[in-house]
Amino acid sequence: MKTRLLPALLALLGSPVFAAPAAPAAAAPAPVLKPAPKGDYIESFDTLYNNLTIQREGTRVELRARSRRGEFYESIVDVADPLDLILEYSRTVYAAAFFQPEPKRALIIGLGGAGVHRLFAKAYPDAVLQTVELDQKIYELCQTHLEFHPTDKTPVAIADGRAYVKRDTAKYDWLLLDAFRGGYVPAHLKTEEFLRECAARLTDQGVFINNLHEGTELFYADIKTMQKVFAQVVLLNPANSGNVMAFGVNYKTPVITDPSKWPDAAVVGKRFEGRVNLAAIKGELMPIPREVAAAKVITDDFNPAELLNVIKTNNESKGR
Amino acid sequence: MVLIFFYLLVIVLGMLSMGFQMLASRLLSPHYGSTIVEWVWLISTFLAAFSAGSVIGGWISNLTATPRARWQLAIAVIGVASLALTAFKQKAMLDAIELHFIPDVRDMNDQGGAAMNTAVFLSCMALFFVPVTALSSFGPQCVGWLAARGTAPGKASGVVYGVSTVGNIAGVMLTVFKLIPNFRVSHLMYGWLGVAAISLTALILLLRMPSPRPPSP
Repeated sequence: MKTRLLPALLALLGSPVFAAPAAPAAAAPAPVLKPAPKGDYIESFDTLYNNLTIQREGTRVELRARSRRGEFYESIVDVADPLDLILEYSRTVYAAAFFQPEPKRALIIGLGGAGVHRLFAKAYPDAVLQTVELDQKIYELCQTHLEFHPTDKTPVAIADGRAYVKRDTAKYDWLLLDAFRGGYVPAHLKTEEFLRECAARLTDQGVFINNLHEGTELFYADIKTMQKVFAQVVLLNPANSGNVMAFGVNYKTPVITDPSKWPDAAVVGKRFEGRVNLAAIKGELMPIPREVAAAKVITDDFNPAELLNVIKTNNESKGR
Repeated sequence: MVLIFFYLLVIVLGMLSMGFQMLASRLLSPHYGSTIVEWVWLISTFLAAFSAGSVIGGWISNLTATPRARWQLAIAVIGVASLALTAFKQKAMLDAIELHFIPDVRDMNDQGGAAMNTAVFLSCMALFFVPVTALSSFGPQCVGWLAARGTAPGKASGVVYGVSTVGNIAGVMLTVFKLIPNFRVSHLMYGWLGVAAISLTALILLLRMPSPRPPSP
């Protein structure tokens, strides 16, 4: 028995599961994708990371993820008009154009239903929009049910967002953190150390965009943590969404906290062909809440993120 | 009174073991994310350590008094030393393993891939396997001690593992709901180290107490 144990262990360590790093592995063959049913449908999928429901009524397709307080929208797409941004927060993302109007390279952590992607690809046809998504099934559903067809300009990597950013060497003009599991963002994507890794990936004029939920203690801690990392932070609160989009930049000048000094919305928004009303989005400016002063910075060492009430009641099934 | 102190120590050791698993997930996630791959290796490492600890502890409990006392001390020293290594050097060790096995962004395209599995496995083994094995090895010795004081072996085993499991549950609950929300993980690791050193010292002294009567045949 003793003589067999050691060779068995060595064989296990030599197996493909425990390989030392060499050249990056060749890309795995693309899985065969099962097309969406014809007509209206409702389907559910339990994946390694999510409990997903995808439902089509007419031309509207909703991708929802179940969480402890119900279902949360990952995305809503009108397949007859995929450029239409139905969820309010996805329009406010484009306020990033005020701070960096000509993005050449962008990174989105969290694919969702690729709601932001279609308009970005249309508005900035020469730009590269890299996406990192943890859940392979979400990527499949985007392709089969949600009319997202990735190209060499919109590549998708299946990986943990933090692990990806840490190893990435590219610089980005826009970096959007939109990685939700149901109604919450994984705790390791909330910390000062992670935000610093994101800040290091921004170009000089690059902007970091963080999709937050308001009305919880975590919200204040999120803002406080962003303030610790970024030289300037601006909050925009899209109406009827429960979301607050937080924008952070690494520079102190020019000042971005005064919307009257932002570029002309009509000029910046020309690329969006009327899909995004940037002038109205200027009016979504939200002052930094007073409670932020007393909030604690979330770090890798001190991270109670899951324990705080991150799910806002009036956000349920109203989009995020 | 001695028995109450004994069960208290069993509970504390149970708390240290499973509470440590919650802290371990916090130590790993900045390096490997919060994926199911991380949890697979983390849970497997702890279960393997429980298994190894039980075997080692069973062997030690059957030794005669003098070598048994030596091994108890040796295992306790190894447990505390390895826990100190985890408490003081975890970040440096995790950085080294992570960057050696997953140096490139292209390796991130497959969460279940070889590089990720290897890195998480080795990290778990380096940081958690030895201290948890050492803590677990005292379970069978506690059973032996209780049996030597007249409790039937089957009953002694059931009671010790039942009480220890209560400690496991308390450790998980306390760590997640009270400790992590209020303290830094690094400070909690120092706390784990201190409590482990004190409780293992107390347990070794207790296990060396002479039995009031010879063990049942």
